[in-house]
Order: sequence, then structure tokens, then C-alpha cells
Amino acid sequence: MLANVLVKTLRDQSRTLLAWAVSLALIVAMYAAVWPAVQSQPSISGFIDQMPEAFRSLFATSSADMSTPTGYIQVELMSFMGPIAVLIYAVSAGAGAIGGEEDRHTMDLLLSNPVGRGRVVVDKFAAMALGTFLLAAVMGVSLVLEGRLVDMVLPADKVAAAMLHLALLGVVFGSLALALSAGTGRTGLSRGIPAVLAVLAYIVNALAPLVDAFDRIHQVSPFFQYIGHDPLRQGTAWDSVLVSAATIAVLVALAVAGFRRRDVAG
Amino acid sequence: MVQLSGLTKRFGRNTALDDVTLTIGPGEVFGYLGPNGAGKTTTIRLLMGMLRPTSGTAAVLGLDAWRQARDVHRLVGYVPGEPALYDRLTGHQHVAYCAHLRNRDDAPRAAELADRLDLDLNRQARTLSRGNRQKLAVVLAVMSSPRLLVLDEPTSGIDPLVQQVFHSILREHTAGGGSALFSSHVLGEVERVADRIGVVRAGKLVAVERLQDLAARSLHRVRARFTTTVSAAGFAGVPGVRDLTVDGRSLSCNAPQSALDALLKLVSARDVEDFECSEAPLEETFLTYYGSDQGGADTLDTAGTGPRHAG
Repeated sequence: MLANVLVKTLRDQSRTLLAWAVSLALIVAMYAAVWPAVQSQPSISGFIDQMPEAFRSLFATSSADMSTPTGYIQVELMSFMGPIAVLIYAVSAGAGAIGGEEDRHTMDLLLSNPVGRGRVVVDKFAAMALGTFLLAAVMGVSLVLEGRLVDMVLPADKVAAAMLHLALLGVVFGSLALALSAGTGRTGLSRGIPAVLAVLAYIVNALAPLVDAFDRIHQVSPFFQYIGHDPLRQGTAWDSVLVSAATIAVLVALAVAGFRRRDVAG
Repeated sequence: MVQLSGLTKRFGRNTALDDVTLTIGPGEVFGYLGPNGAGKTTTIRLLMGMLRPTSGTAAVLGLDAWRQARDVHRLVGYVPGEPALYDRLTGHQHVAYCAHLRNRDDAPRAAELADRLDLDLNRQARTLSRGNRQKLAVVLAVMSSPRLLVLDEPTSGIDPLVQQVFHSILREHTAGGGSALFSSHVLGEVERVADRIGVVRAGKLVAVERLQDLAARSLHRVRARFTTTVSAAGFAGVPGVRDLTVDGRSLSCNAPQSALDALLKLVSARDVEDFECSEAPLEETFLTYYGSDQGGADTLDTAGTGPRHAG
């Protein structure tokens, strides 16, 4: 209990994490409950095919077949709801990590102990990353287990791969929020900028097939690393994992450097 | 123990602290006085490595407060000006967390301190009164037996009885060779424990004085009533006499010890009906020298009830 900044931060987040985990399990349950109805309505795939192309790009990622569990989950959960949930948690946790303790004036108390500022940033990062991976894991386990109840069979290894990529997507934007929080101490700004960038990254990746300008840059979008290779069908893309991990490492290094050189708000 | 040299901090164009040089020796309690917003808290947060000096350095036992903050923090216990605690943690959990971060087992010492201060460590911080929060902050600062205590207005909100306990804890600390930097905007709070005082005003250290020396310069309030009317001019020539008022047959003034002899001779040259001479409280002496000579906005808050801002 309270052995270090990491454990303390996870303890602070325990209620939030529990609430998120329950919500995610319920969201997955909702999709699972609707699945039998969707499966018996083959016309839904036709409905998606009839959507305007831009619309289809935004909501259905690649060519998804709604009559299969994989296609259904890809359209309904992976392309929109899943990323939103994970991003909201990760960005909030990252933005609150340093700036939040300053807002509550507890940073003086924490830093008056012999703990380096770098250690504080790294522990706060680790708590945010663990929380994000935990939520992705809850979502993945819910998909596999709740899916079985309604005959929506998803391959566990592919689900795990998709959740790994989803968690990495969250941690990339969470680390950006952390870097801003550590560098500026301003919680609102640290939440807002990653949120706007996440929306832009999403649009760039989703509309890349339609917009030439986007097509040239969409590979830098973290959403491309997340879903560009269709992880629910293709499994883990290690080059994407590597790009994400490198992005995270750079952002955490920037967070440490930023926090080490500035005044702490008291 | 503490060495501030040319310490300067600017926030944008506003100079919060201007070229402060100061040494605090082992076993010494340094009372750091000044009105709210004068730069007390800025000095303390620079010493704690929370702020980066614009120029100059702050050092504790030769360790730089900014570049070697972690090593400095091993030697220092700190009570922040606005002691913020983790609302959902109890006193015991605060003790456990800080002790873990210091790699020490401070729970027994913390329990003993809490007992002396009459503080219940089982309660969550958010349920504690202002005074009790202050006590918990003091326990957390003192429990690791640091070499230096940095206390930003530690006794504000604590009742006088508990202040006495706090003062005895502070004396035990200095008896063991520990030092303390103790800030306050009221002299009365530090005069019983401080060896020296420094006065900071508008970011500048305007005076450093031994408390003994200040006491020696302490003012005496002199009142006399004569049988006949006297004129102010007859007494104005005495050096050191302040606040002289003569109204018909009565005279009142403040005079340092050195002026008493000359003043008394002038008084006794007339027919005295009544005479009174009493030593003014140290607070008043202090105010006369450092307090109100720069206009109303700068005066020290003698009542100790004014709003508190980061100084």
C-alpha cells in the first residue's frame, strides 16, 4: 500500500477505473445482445454498401462484412466507440497526472520528499499506461466471453492483438497529454490539445482513401498504426507496435525534460 | 546549514525576490518576517527546489537546492504555506506514503508527534479542520528527523496551547543541532523561538538582526504630567526619541534605552506630577523600525488576521 508514486496513483484512479471497466463490459454486452438480430438481417451489409463513400470510410474503416462477428465488431466497436472510450480515459489520466496534483496543491508535499521529478513523471506515466491496458483487456475479455453467450464467436488471439493496438493508441495520446501536463502544468490545455489532435488523426486516417492530401500523410496518424492493418483479421502488426512504442518513448522523455526545467505551481 | 547567495526570482517582469543573501547556521532558528506577498514563500519554494532561481543560488549543506533537489529533500522537512493534503488519505496513510518515499520507518515517531499535538491520525484529511491539517503537515515534516526544517507560517490556524507544544518540538530539534527557517508575518509568532530574524519587504531582505539586539533597542513608552504647561520644543532635542506629543501639561513619547537618561533629566528639571515609563512589546519596537515607514500597504499585519496569499 502506498509504496510509491505509481501505486498511489493507481489507488487514486481505482474508482475511476472500476467505473470505466463496468461501463465497457456493459457496452460490449449491448453490442452482443444486438448481434443475433443483426446476423438475421443480411440486408444490413447491403445498407452499409449503399452509404455514401465518405460516410462508410468514417464509420466502417475498411471493407467490413457486417454479417460476420469480426466485421460487425469492427464496424460497431473498433472504429468508433472503443477508441473514444480508451482515449477519454488515457487523455484524462495523462492530463491530470502532473497538472492535477498542482491544481490540488499536493505537488509541494509530494516533491518535498526525496523523489526526483523524473521518477514522478515515469510513475505517473506507468499508472496511465497500466490503466489503459487494463481497460483494453476488460474490453477484449468481454468481447470473447460475452460473444460466446450469443454465438458471436471471435478468435481470442485476434481480439488480443486488436486490444493491444487499441491500448497503444490510447497510451500515445495519453503520453501526449502527460507531456503537455508536465511541461505546462495546465490541465485544461493538456486535455484539449490531444483531444483535438485525436479527432484530426482519426479523420486523416479514415478519409485517406478519398482525399489525396490525407492519403500522403495518413501513415503518421496513430489511428493508422491502430487499425490500418485491420488487427481483428490480421493480428498484431509489429512494425506498428514499434512505431507506437517509439512515439510513446519520445513523449515520455519530453515530459520528463519539461517537468525538470520548470517551476512547480504551489 | 543554509546558504542563500544573490538569490533572485522573477516571474515575467515582476521581481518576486531580489538579490537575497543569507546564512543560517547549525542549531539556529531563523525567523523570516514580512508582510503577505513580500517574498517569503518565494524564498522558501526556491530553497525547496520547487522554483528555479532566475539568478543566484540556494544551498543546504553545500547541496544546490535546484540541481540536487532530491539530495536536499533527504535532509529537509517542509511545511508548505498552504498545507495541501490528499483528501482521501488518512493521517496514517500520509505518514506511510511519505515514509515509503523516504525509505524510512517513521510511523512510531509520527504517532508520538501526533499524540503530543493531539491529532487523530485515523481521520481522512478532508474531514480535518484547518488547525488539524496544519498539525498533520508538521508531523509529516518533523517525523523523518531532518537536519533542517523549512516552515512556511507553520503555526497559523493552530491554537496557542498547541503552539507551545510545537515550540518545544522545535527546541528539541535545534538542541540536536538541527536548524529551522520559520516564516511568519507576525513577530509574536517567532520571537519566542527565533535566534535571529530577517525582514523581507517587496522582495528585498531589508534587515537581519539578532533577537537579543532588537530587544536591546526596544523602546520605552514614557509618559509624564507636569504641574505647569510645557512646550514640545523643550524635549525635541533628545536623540532617538520618537512619536513625541506634548499636550498642555502632559507629554508622551517612545524612547530607546540610550535616550532615557537625557530625557529623564529634561523631565526632572520641571515639576513632575506623574511619571510612567514602561517597556513596549517587542512587536511595537519591531514595527517602529521595520513596519510602517513605507506607507500603509506595506505594513505588517500585526493582528495576524489578514488574508493569506503566497508571499
